[in-house]
Amino acid sequence: MQEKITRREALKRIYGAIVAAGAATFISFEDLLAADATADKRLNLVWLHGSSCSGCSCSFLDIEYVPVLDIISKFTNVIFHPDLSLATGDQVTDMLGRVVDSKLDYLLVVEGSIPVGMPHACLMGHKPFVEWAVPMAKRATACVAAGTCATFGGVTRMNGMQTGIQTLPELLAAQRIDKPLVCLPGCPMKPEHIVYTLLHYAMKGTLPELDSQHRPLRFFGNTIHERCIYYADFQEKHYARHIGDSGCLINLGCQGVVTRNDCLINGHNNNTSSCIRAGHPCVGCASEHFPRQIMLHSHDDPRVIKRKF
Amino acid sequence: MKRVVIDPVTRIEGHLRVETQMAGGVVTDARCSGDMFRGIEKALIGYDARVAQQVTQRVCGVCPYAHAEAAALALEQAMGLRPNENGQLLRNLIVGAYQLQDHLLHFYVLSALDFIDITAILNYRGNDAGLVTLRGWVKSEVESGKIFPAAPFLPRYEGAYAKDQELNISAIKGYLGALPIMADLHKMVAVFGAKAPHPVAIEAGGVTTLPTVDRLGQYKNWLNRAAHFIRNQYRNDLLGVAAAFPTYFNEGKGPGNFLSFPYFPEASGEQHAFVGGATLGGKYQALDLSQITEDHAYSWYKNEPSSGIKPLQSTTLQPLNMAEYQREIARDDGKYSWTRAPRYGGEVMEVGPTARVINTYRSGKHADFNRQIDSLNRELNIGLNEYDSVMGRHLSRLVCALRILDRLEAQLEQVQPEQSAFIERDMPKSARGYGLTEATRGALGHWIETDEKGYISNYELIVPTTWNMSPRDAAGKPGAVEQMLIGTRVADPTQPLELARIVRSSDPCMACSVH
Repeated sequence: MQEKITRREALKRIYGAIVAAGAATFISFEDLLAADATADKRLNLVWLHGSSCSGCSCSFLDIEYVPVLDIISKFTNVIFHPDLSLATGDQVTDMLGRVVDSKLDYLLVVEGSIPVGMPHACLMGHKPFVEWAVPMAKRATACVAAGTCATFGGVTRMNGMQTGIQTLPELLAAQRIDKPLVCLPGCPMKPEHIVYTLLHYAMKGTLPELDSQHRPLRFFGNTIHERCIYYADFQEKHYARHIGDSGCLINLGCQGVVTRNDCLINGHNNNTSSCIRAGHPCVGCASEHFPRQIMLHSHDDPRVIKRKF
Repeated sequence: MKRVVIDPVTRIEGHLRVETQMAGGVVTDARCSGDMFRGIEKALIGYDARVAQQVTQRVCGVCPYAHAEAAALALEQAMGLRPNENGQLLRNLIVGAYQLQDHLLHFYVLSALDFIDITAILNYRGNDAGLVTLRGWVKSEVESGKIFPAAPFLPRYEGAYAKDQELNISAIKGYLGALPIMADLHKMVAVFGAKAPHPVAIEAGGVTTLPTVDRLGQYKNWLNRAAHFIRNQYRNDLLGVAAAFPTYFNEGKGPGNFLSFPYFPEASGEQHAFVGGATLGGKYQALDLSQITEDHAYSWYKNEPSSGIKPLQSTTLQPLNMAEYQREIARDDGKYSWTRAPRYGGEVMEVGPTARVINTYRSGKHADFNRQIDSLNRELNIGLNEYDSVMGRHLSRLVCALRILDRLEAQLEQVQPEQSAFIERDMPKSARGYGLTEATRGALGHWIETDEKGYISNYELIVPTTWNMSPRDAAGKPGAVEQMLIGTRVADPTQPLELARIVRSSDPCMACSVH
């Protein structure tokens, strides 16, 4: 009895956090209790690393709204995650093979891009990553592109790259794999974005409402600029000329006007900060243009074509 | 002869294949393959010099902060600039917190469950809420008849896990407790660096964030909590594992040569907590960067020459195409990794926390540090030579974490509140510079060259795991981890737990190593 009360109290706390995360409109406290009681409602998850840096995985572990243990034990079955799974070597390749051959419903998370021009540029189990990604995606009930590399290419699509990468949406299109797809750009992806998406899918059986690039409108409906703490300064043409000045950072290279994300509503690391609040122009890490040829620059940098605002 | 392959090696950063040959249960040969190539360093050519800070961090989402620092240091050298005291201190507060997060990640999430028996939770009799939840979940999973019960904690290699129930439970509690502390440490990074992973605010010239009193207060609050965890839970769990596996002070001996770069200065930018240098054949010598070369005789590139290449000597990197790659892997002695082979005066070097400890100790520059190591060694009944081992590497991480923690606490008090931590300077034209630091997993160097407009004309990264996980060089010398594996006895070749423990003790970061 004692334990049950503890559990209910714990769920109440989690629910409080869900409300804070803005996910309460689709999850009631009763939903949460029901999900807690029925283990079979849990979402099976397979997480793979393509051409990636594991930054999105590390970011995922920073989630505070719902404890990682609860994600693993209450809301999902993490069948495979490269950084969490104790399974090693053949155990992993056997497991993934069995997942593909089974009737199991699962959600596929791909972190990083897929080098199809140079398939040997990303290998797992002595096999090009693309040969894992395609069959895993074909069998998945839905796919998640975790981070900017998986969504837009990011640093794996810089000028001068030789690996010929495809993003997850591009791979699915090229392979004619028609699956529900959600893209969560950000370098790294924000943990709140994936946890919200997973909870939504677990509770409702659908992905949240998406824009034309498969991004949840809830997080990517506005540009950084539109919600910026310096928006009024921009309107008043009050621009910073040096790092440390007050005012809009656009003349120092800020990418907030062309980057969709919710950094100034839900800042990084449990809203501890955001790039702009740290006095640094937005580098546009969630945008299709990342990384730009010039990021932070002086207000009079002759290499930058001056835009009129 | 029997071939034992671990592919993929999980609970590391990135894509790694380990292939060994065994005779009579003992490893006679080992090859480590870095299995992912992006080509980021040469792709930087043509980008603005400041972009290196943001982009090189993306070679690694586990230790991005070190790349930010090395890139900023390289550009500062090209600018002829040093940050002011606040800039240096804030930078230290960012990278130091990140290192602590990374040490906890490596011990609890990536390595501990190679020693600790997760199934011990089934016999847990206490009433800690997290452990009770975990016990209930594991129990229901094991009884569920599912095809993958208790994933991601099962399946695992079966072998000799810790038998001490108290140690097992303490470390499992530590695992669960470490996650929120790691999130706090990332918040400490974010409060001055803007975010973690990939902090943006470390730039050549200092740190863009203003150290306001509220930010300093937040940092202190989280630091206090993390300090308590590290000095108690982490220390006890790590020393507990070391006591339960004393033979692992003799397993996984590497080349015995150690390289480290000066690390964690005081506000002046001098007096580093860890002394740089090289230990070769048991003798310490001062750092000489001209000794560093790279080699790709056994790596999947076709540039000529294939060995003795100095940083910035080459502006291109020509990866093998698919057909060439397939030809190489079909050959008995073909190329087998995307990782290149850095060498110091032609020698294979181990880098990482052990190298930091050994070089700092042998340099004799910090009497307090040597006293601390001597006392720890007496407590554990080991000598400095035992640091060159699986358990020695874990122990070195604890030593490094405690030393960084002391400095963070002291340096936090030295920050001048509300004073700028950033100096602006024009982009250096046609200039060169290098930046040296220590990532959590070892010595990291960046080299930059800019053109007449301030764009990058060449860039070079020589990264810790490139040293540790290097393949053979032109002279046929195996890399550091390959040497650690050779000679290891494996109880059950179908469950090569001993080999996985050795590989993970070097804390591989494969995305870094190939970049």
